[in-house]
Amino acid sequence: MKKVTTNFLNMNRSRLKQIQVLILVKSLFYSCKGLCLLMLLVCSSKALALEVKGVIQANFVVADGHASWFEHGTGILAYSENGFNIQQALVKVSDSYSNGFGFDLVANYYQLGSQNLGISQAQLAYKPLSNSKLRWRARAGFFYPKMSLENVDTGWLSPFTYTQSAINSWIGEELRVAGAEFTLFSPGRSRKSPLSWELHGAVFKGNDPLGTAISWRGFTLHDRQSLNNDKVPFAAYPSVVQEDRIFHPNYVEPYHELDGRLGFYLGAHLDYFKQSSLRYYFYDNQADPLVVNSQRLYAWRTKFHSLSIQHKFTSNTRVIAQWMSGSSNMGQRFVYINFDAWYIMFSHKLKKHRFTARLDDFQVREDDIFLWDPNNSDGKAITLAWRYDLNKHWQVGIEQHFNENSSDIRATVGQDVSIDQQQSLAVIQYRW
Amino acid sequence: MKFYYIVFSVLLSGSVFSAETSISVVSNNNEAISNVVVTLTSKEIKTYEAPKVLAVMDQVDTQFLPHVLIVQQDSKVIFPNSDSIKHHVYSFSSAKTFELQLYKDLEAEPLLFSNPGIVELGCNIHDWMLGYIFVADTPYFAKTGIQGKVNLDVPEGDYLVRVWNPRFQEEEDVLSFQLSIPSQNSLTVKLVNSLLPDLSDYEEGNDEFSEYE
Repeated sequence: MKKVTTNFLNMNRSRLKQIQVLILVKSLFYSCKGLCLLMLLVCSSKALALEVKGVIQANFVVADGHASWFEHGTGILAYSENGFNIQQALVKVSDSYSNGFGFDLVANYYQLGSQNLGISQAQLAYKPLSNSKLRWRARAGFFYPKMSLENVDTGWLSPFTYTQSAINSWIGEELRVAGAEFTLFSPGRSRKSPLSWELHGAVFKGNDPLGTAISWRGFTLHDRQSLNNDKVPFAAYPSVVQEDRIFHPNYVEPYHELDGRLGFYLGAHLDYFKQSSLRYYFYDNQADPLVVNSQRLYAWRTKFHSLSIQHKFTSNTRVIAQWMSGSSNMGQRFVYINFDAWYIMFSHKLKKHRFTARLDDFQVREDDIFLWDPNNSDGKAITLAWRYDLNKHWQVGIEQHFNENSSDIRATVGQDVSIDQQQSLAVIQYRW
Repeated sequence: MKFYYIVFSVLLSGSVFSAETSISVVSNNNEAISNVVVTLTSKEIKTYEAPKVLAVMDQVDTQFLPHVLIVQQDSKVIFPNSDSIKHHVYSFSSAKTFELQLYKDLEAEPLLFSNPGIVELGCNIHDWMLGYIFVADTPYFAKTGIQGKVNLDVPEGDYLVRVWNPRFQEEEDVLSFQLSIPSQNSLTVKLVNSLLPDLSDYEEGNDEFSEYE
């Protein structure tokens, strides 16, 4: 009897354990379905011959005490307090097939921001096998136009600095297109020429609120890319949020389609061997600035030119620069801004060390009807970074960033218009 | 043939059965040309045993290595991938048409090259990659060195010499000459036309960041 009872108890314990494990697995599964899916993809990648890459960065940051937009403050750097953080965690799954089709999916985890887990890029691509001098390819999905020469690492990260340029910080947080791109290209080697070129044209839906963040908050410098349903918060400026003023929430969800119109961009790349690159893009979301949704998010008519160049003096030393100039309009010229930004970056690799220095300049100037909603902002920044490859998986690095910036709208929340900021980062990175 | 300036010289051979044959290739400016394929095909011996050793066309730093590989007909070629990224190698050439997915951790099966000729290789992921496999109908072949010269030890007899490089702009894709060994054991080939531009800079400055090309 005792034996039976013991067996029964043991069975119950064992069953209890099974139930506990099931509950744990279920709760884990339901709480982070995306992560489970990613793990499954990683585990099965070998069998399916998928390409799976990942990057995880953990940092220790020394911040300067100015609260960032993530904390509804007016600082232009990502971190508000000293401490340890997960800076990046992403998995990229991709494959391509003999028939020319392929796909890419990038899933990210972010400690900062309101959406912690999600998709930053997902695209289907078609590139037929061809050895002709003139070739074509196409892609459709949720992706970046290829205008940046800075964000060339896995998952659109920068391999040069941790804090990205003001231009690409903004592109990462507000610009992504849900659309289709057609590319005509000619690899120079197929023509026995040192020059290769590409022409890109795309149409897309969504991305109507693009411009909101830089109009009110101004440019910022960070490396957080907005995820598929993400929200970019900013301070509750009275001129923005009050019902008797513009009456807009103190956030933007940048990927909404609000007016039913198609946006477009055109791009051209020119490369000399693999030594020098030039990329020009014109982007226009063609948004109707009078359209507003139930959240009171507006469509912002945003268009800009972007010009990027890269020249490699040697295989270890390069200069990269980008210039962007455009405008954004919301409502009946409730907010109208012209924006200009540029950066220039030198990067040198010495054995396993990479040293990078970047200078940023950014400016937003308003020309609208509401004097009580001041939108002028500007700034300059220097970012210095050292990154050291311990081996093919591990990397450590240190970055020091300084900026001086001004934003007229800070006066509406009783803060100094001009502030100087700095941020120090020590980062350890693992990639596979 | 009349367009080419050919120098034959007669040297006494030390061996009755084989003789060292020297072939040089120079440009129309008399500059030595390296990496030129030179093959000697015997007119008497028609068949050879298929090579047992696998030839290797590697992918290193998003380039084919070597840029030009010579293999004997009926050779098997393996395409390892020494890069940490995937390649998708293809050829539309009549000597061998194929496409091959090269994952970073998986080894593809070797391919048999049974037809003589030139196989031009590309990669559908990295458009600047270009490589060649010259499939020779003879075991006697080599590529010219920096001095623009090859030395081959071949049995005595009558041979057809083939000379080729992707930068040639001559009337024929592959230049060919008759050679009788040992009575003629030295040959200098001078090109009539200038070479196509040297695009070896595509091999230089390969970026470690290829996510975004």
